Amino acid sequence: MDELVHLSIEQGCATITLRRTDARNALSFELIHALASTIAQVSARITSAPHEVRVVVIAGEGKSFCAGVDLKAVLHDALRMGGMLQQLSMALLALRQLPVPTIARVQGAAIGGGCGLVVVCDFAVTHPEAKLGYPEVDLGVCPAVVAPWLVKKIGAGPARAMLLAGGTMRGDEAFNRGLVTHCVARDQLESTTAELVARLMTGGPHALACTKRMLNELDGSNDARIAREAAELSAKVIAGPEAQAHLSRHFQAISTPPTATR
Amino acid sequence: MDDPASQRVRTAVCAKLCTITLDDPSRRNALGSGLLEQLERAIAQADSLARHDEIVVLLLRATGRVFCSGFDLEECVQNEQTLAQFVRRLSALTRAIRAMPAVVVAQVQGAALAGGCAIVAACDIVCASEQATFGYPVHRIGLSPAVSLPTLMATVGCGSARTLALSSDVVDAKRAQALGLVHTLACDADALEIAATALARAIAVKSPVALRATKLWLNELDGTHPSGSLGAHADSVTEATAALCTAPESRLLLADFWKRRKATS
Repeated sequence: MDELVHLSIEQGCATITLRRTDARNALSFELIHALASTIAQVSARITSAPHEVRVVVIAGEGKSFCAGVDLKAVLHDALRMGGMLQQLSMALLALRQLPVPTIARVQGAAIGGGCGLVVVCDFAVTHPEAKLGYPEVDLGVCPAVVAPWLVKKIGAGPARAMLLAGGTMRGDEAFNRGLVTHCVARDQLESTTAELVARLMTGGPHALACTKRMLNELDGSNDARIAREAAELSAKVIAGPEAQAHLSRHFQAISTPPTATR
Repeated sequence: MDDPASQRVRTAVCAKLCTITLDDPSRRNALGSGLLEQLERAIAQADSLARHDEIVVLLLRATGRVFCSGFDLEECVQNEQTLAQFVRRLSALTRAIRAMPAVVVAQVQGAALAGGCAIVAACDIVCASEQATFGYPVHRIGLSPAVSLPTLMATVGCGSARTLALSSDVVDAKRAQALGLVHTLACDADALEIAATALARAIAVKSPVALRATKLWLNELDGTHPSGSLGAHADSVTEATAALCTAPESRLLLADFWKRRKATS
């Protein structure tokens, strides 16, 4: 009931659902931990019973897929923050290395680390009004953890322009810029994802696993060193005075006026 | 006719934004010794300002209908060492732009060819108008666009870089956007000016620490860091390209090309 990440396996499709709806599924220390263990659980399940899980869907419960990394609680705890980013980076790597196709089903918003979950997946489905992107530099933060996956997804040149400019974009623009593979009307999000799952199920699991492994090798996805360094770099920038000042102001601004009705 | 002391590059610094303008429109902003020297000085100055946190963004723009037509071939025809020197200086310029701890935005309002395209491909974000064109039509003068390849390959990917560098094709801005070389497209030069300035100003108010860490991390990821494709290996590529310039084949092709250009103009 209180689980932060729910795993369901039905007819060969494992659905990993983020369930921290009161915070738009923002990635807290606990949520990242739960996500990492769920991915590990799915990975083990695929190894022991390959035919039970043939596609993985990542979803978020409620209005938003994922609002990003929740830095508020760890802002002044450099050790815990570093550990949290390290675990997120490793969870993204583990998600990439699952030997089955992965799909992100994105409604509402996928911001920062949440948009990292989107681009690390093999497919992503969203709707035109959704909000996606990497506003990290707007908050004095370095999007180091998501950068390797964005570079692999849309190419280094466009990734450079996107990450240095900051900000967010609509779902239709995200589709045009290659962040997501499908953009459909909001009420077709579930059905389009289901159709994609069904289509992927028709492929030979062994062939799909081979293809994915090959793609991961070719684009350097298996480099754990990069994932580690990315988390270290991101933590270092957040611990610096500039990011601390930026983020403190940001948290103050978003917690002042309308929270009374929360 | 050509006064080497005349000002061909203008620099302005305002609110963490440094603007460098190539301002030699009558010579199509060609990279001749005069403009190159002023551009090198302006880039070095911007680099130093960035290292002292006095600027966050460098906006590189040009006046006239052409952004930059590449090397000033008239100078190269006159002296065979000049072309080789230009290649070395262009290589150093692209590396300086890539390594600079500021976000470099290019505002390309017209043709950016050969050396001009190499400068654009080294920038972090490229804004262009629909009239802009891009390409490396240099094989016809016996030259290789090799010094641009590390940043070009990182920017557009191996396949497109191969096509651009081997074909001598000049592509329009829409095609360049599809290839990933252009990131923001405007309908004309005025709209481009507004869009590029707005983007540069919006980035200039952001955190320099985060932007610098992000840029240098992207350089690591795409291999354009000093110990990667722009490092020692780039030195040998630059020297090999410079050596081409003084080879008989290049001298002959360049002289022929120049004779035909003079005859038609």
